[in-house]
Amino acid sequence: MTTPETWIFRILVLGFVAAFLAQVTKRARLVLRARNNITIADEETGSRLLRFMTEIIFQSRTIGERPLVGLAHLGVYWGFVAFAGYTCVQFLAGLGIVDLTDTKAFHVYAIVLVPFAIAVSVGIVGLMIRRVAVRPKALGDTLSIESVVIGVFILTLMITFLLEFRLEEGVAARVNWWVHAVVILCFMVLIPGSKHFHLVVSPLTVYLRSSGLATVPNLDFGKEEVGLETLKDVERKQVLDAFTCVECGRCQVNCPASGTGKLLNPKTLVLQIEDALLAGKFDTTLADIFDPGILWQCTTCGACEAQCPVGVEHLPLIIGARRGLVSNGEAPVALGKVYNDLERRGNIWGLGADQRQKFVQSAGLEIFDASRHEYLMWLGCAGAFEADFQKALRSLFNILRACGVSFGVLAKERCTGDVARRTGNEYQFQELARANIEDFRAAGVTKILTSCPHCLRTLGVDYQAFGFHAEVVHSSVLIADLTRGMLVDGHETVALHDPCYLGRYAGVTAEPRDLLARFGAKVREPVRSGSNPFCCGAGGGLLFEEQESGTRISQERFEQLQATGARTVVTACPFCSIMLKSAEASANAGVEVVDLMTFVGGRMKQAGRKGEATP
Amino acid sequence: MILVIAEQQDGVLNRATWETIAAAQQAGGPVTVAVLGAETAAVAAAVAAAEVAGVVRVEGGALGVYTLDGFVMSLAALVEAEQPAHVFLPHTYRTRDFAPALAARCHAPLVTDCVGTKTHDGQLVFVRPVFQGRLLADVAVSGQAFVTFQIGAVRADAVALGASPAPVRTVAAGVEAAAIRQAPEAPFREARQAVDLTQAERIVAVGRGIRDQDKIALAQQLAAAIGAEIGASRPICDAGWLPMDRQIGSSGQTVAPKVYIALGISGAIQHLVGMKGAGTIVAVNKDPEAPIFEIADYGIVGDLFEVVPALIKELQG
Amino acid sequence: MKIAVCIKQVPTRDVQPRVNDQKTWVRDQDASFELNEPDAYALEEGLRLKEKHGGEVVVCSAGPARVAQALRESLARGADRAIHVEGDALATADAFAVSEALAAAMREEHFDLVLTGLQSDDQGFAQTGPILAELLGFASATIIMEVDVQPGGLRVKRELEGGWFQWVALPRPALLTIQSGINQLRYATLKGIMAAKKKEIRKVAPPEGLASRQRIVHLYVPAKQKQTEMIGGTPAEAAKALVRRLRDDARVLS
Repeated sequence: MTTPETWIFRILVLGFVAAFLAQVTKRARLVLRARNNITIADEETGSRLLRFMTEIIFQSRTIGERPLVGLAHLGVYWGFVAFAGYTCVQFLAGLGIVDLTDTKAFHVYAIVLVPFAIAVSVGIVGLMIRRVAVRPKALGDTLSIESVVIGVFILTLMITFLLEFRLEEGVAARVNWWVHAVVILCFMVLIPGSKHFHLVVSPLTVYLRSSGLATVPNLDFGKEEVGLETLKDVERKQVLDAFTCVECGRCQVNCPASGTGKLLNPKTLVLQIEDALLAGKFDTTLADIFDPGILWQCTTCGACEAQCPVGVEHLPLIIGARRGLVSNGEAPVALGKVYNDLERRGNIWGLGADQRQKFVQSAGLEIFDASRHEYLMWLGCAGAFEADFQKALRSLFNILRACGVSFGVLAKERCTGDVARRTGNEYQFQELARANIEDFRAAGVTKILTSCPHCLRTLGVDYQAFGFHAEVVHSSVLIADLTRGMLVDGHETVALHDPCYLGRYAGVTAEPRDLLARFGAKVREPVRSGSNPFCCGAGGGLLFEEQESGTRISQERFEQLQATGARTVVTACPFCSIMLKSAEASANAGVEVVDLMTFVGGRMKQAGRKGEATP
Repeated sequence: MILVIAEQQDGVLNRATWETIAAAQQAGGPVTVAVLGAETAAVAAAVAAAEVAGVVRVEGGALGVYTLDGFVMSLAALVEAEQPAHVFLPHTYRTRDFAPALAARCHAPLVTDCVGTKTHDGQLVFVRPVFQGRLLADVAVSGQAFVTFQIGAVRADAVALGASPAPVRTVAAGVEAAAIRQAPEAPFREARQAVDLTQAERIVAVGRGIRDQDKIALAQQLAAAIGAEIGASRPICDAGWLPMDRQIGSSGQTVAPKVYIALGISGAIQHLVGMKGAGTIVAVNKDPEAPIFEIADYGIVGDLFEVVPALIKELQG
Repeated sequence: MKIAVCIKQVPTRDVQPRVNDQKTWVRDQDASFELNEPDAYALEEGLRLKEKHGGEVVVCSAGPARVAQALRESLARGADRAIHVEGDALATADAFAVSEALAAAMREEHFDLVLTGLQSDDQGFAQTGPILAELLGFASATIIMEVDVQPGGLRVKRELEGGWFQWVALPRPALLTIQSGINQLRYATLKGIMAAKKKEIRKVAPPEGLASRQRIVHLYVPAKQKQTEMIGGTPAEAAKALVRRLRDDARVLS
């Protein structure tokens, strides 16, 4: 290489690298400026490394949700990594530092890279066709020119690489080399400002992602924490999330709000944070950064977070922003009433304790006594007051008694605080939690049984932050275990609706299916089932908001279940039950919505009469 | 002697006055009835038909329109002059306004919203509901007391009528108009633009059991028969059979009417929390296990298409 | 505007109260208490008036030590400070005694406007407000749906029977009893709760010689409790029986 060429190259590299570093520094400053909310316990390192391997190295999430696209991306990604050494050697030569391009090792390496280059080319062409021609909804309404440009860059790099084998010496070879090098520099400088920053940030965000879904820390009132009000309150992991987002839209297409015509779009949320950070709008309130009203359209189903291949945690951001609004008195009117009801009556309906007492008596329930009872049966707000769910509970009690399990209820229950926590009323949540934990400790409770997935999550996970570690189990899991081996004849076709807080949050999907299969049901899966169900629309406080824009989420889900052709829908959550029954009533569909416990209990009774059930 | 304060508006006697007179008669001893207003002759003559010791007309221009200060001033003077053992009034919007101040001015206790009287240890005590009617209290007083009686607690037709009209006398109101601090304007009824079920005293609500949009007319006939508003559970409004402002539920309207008739409503919890404050709940439903029956005061298990026409017939007949 | 809101702390509603051994009151010991809901509407109205016209809202209550909790809840919703007339006997005193206790503590504050709820969920006298007005010498009006502040006075919308309403003008200082349900009640926000910890609750001893003039000699459960009465028979028979019940027993039909 001639000296002027080398010098030109050196100057170019300096310039482009400076531009790259400037952008990276700006973003790094924004990350470091934010409050550090990242805590990693030592015992977690192992599981995080494992997650890193499966999700980053082996791209489990990208391939899992979209197999073809994921594989194409895998090709491009591994190719990119494989080429790192090649690019380094070429640049070292170009900068006149050392020239290893003639070594045997390098030639072997280059040949090994050929299949990678082909994989990358095929992959990138496929992805480009998808982006430009197919135009999937997930990628947004406007075509991202930047993504097209980068796609062209990648293809150019592969073509120029392959051409190297053809062009030996001479002007064409030099031009080819320069095209390759300049494209790399241009690509590099585009990385920080585009979604390709995930190349740098996503290993971090995947490693640092909390181990559980929707992990939101307690607010410390001693430090006068009130939640996220303005952009400067956004925390470090959330800033990283904003920069790592690949704009793939997996969150968006799985979001029930987005999917029913509402303004809320989890992808937009994250990108709006990114834009605002780069524009330096630190004193702007989050409510002003986001589209109006969207914060109250989220059911906290978690589909967004569960799908994200780069570790973005949407829910701490949404719930954090809700906290900011709620602490300032800006909760929606419907929720204000719920908060008052929770404060006065300790339940979400505002009903008096006498009504719960009536149920306790009529169901013959005993008051929990640690010396006699194995489980504390937690009724929850629905169990205490909702007549339909109480029927399901009666079935559960019968099954438990038949299987010889001892259980009792608390004399008085107050709400776990699930709604308060998910809607951002932290003060109320902590008040309820502390009072409940005191009661649990005083009664010597170590095992809790509940039929409500929201109570399951709150008691079993959220309460751990207060030092409360009991064994909390959902009735489907316990009953599946207790009735193991029992088989009842029958072939009733049912559609199973997995509750978000059971299937997605708690990962309980096998037990309900096992129960149904053994108790005479043939399960038809609706679209979106198992650990990625489509929400019923009750979570996140939306049970109380009946003025929905777009299509009702509950209606959408009911239609999905109806489409299976089953005349019976089985679910395992009182709120899913309320929403689906309501949707069924509006549709006048003649479909029966029944709780899993009622189904199993009914079949057990029938079998008992026929003498069939064999433990 | 028990002094009964009659209530009249523009020469029309409030029916509750008869109930109060009956209560006074039942408590024992002579009864005097006072009528306040600008022109009280006709009302006084009507009241004089009761078996009472006398009727006092408290007349004054300043009493033509009710004001708190005007009534308190004139009645305080009357009570001072008549020295009754007790003063009985009906428990109306008006007496809720002036009776406490009047009692305070006369340095006497006021026992409100009584449902009856009895004797306890030889003393007259007054029975009143407390804790929203969950308990009853027998209340004893020392000395003269003012007592208001719940509308309908004592039957108006229990009034003993006199053989001949009671003597009527007139006293001056003794009210200085300038001393009245309230300046009331004419009463009016609200022009109902939007439906406000939260203020409705009677509601007939329809649920899925109504089955068809055109069957809602039946419920409307029932509503008309008892002067009620129409409400609905969510499926009806979702289907567009009735507008959203008729929806009763946890974030539809929360209502607290005196009577709530639920037709074909199962009683899902979201609907329940919207109407649990109703005074008397009537439910008609085909399903005997419908949750609505748990909170209803009166329930009919049956086909609403047979029950409702029968109800309408009974109400109109 | 200097606004006072008088509140009462009552045993939690919707719970069947248990009568004490002497049958003169309910068992206090294990009872839970809450802010009287009608007073919550008065507080809401007071806070809205302050937001609109400026000034301060002082929440006042007469009762035992536990009443401080209800005062704190009111402060958390935005009241500026509180006055607590503290005395155990006040829990079961009649409206007159309570009004005298409040008047003694409130007189020197020279409020422009005093608001109370219509009545308490326990005793349900519906008198404390108007008696307090009489003792303070304030003009008053009851069952108020809307408050319109005018120079030197008020114009208020009273609720009358049968769907009628009436606007009444009165001078300030005045006392109003506020109808329930006229506004959406705000909830206690986190910031409000934090701020409330620093707000003043002034404790005052009740005046000497307070005596109730009425007392409960016997407290008991009524014979007829709320039970669902299922009406059977043919539709015509059931209709007839129902109408009779509604007319004569429930007395909700004329």
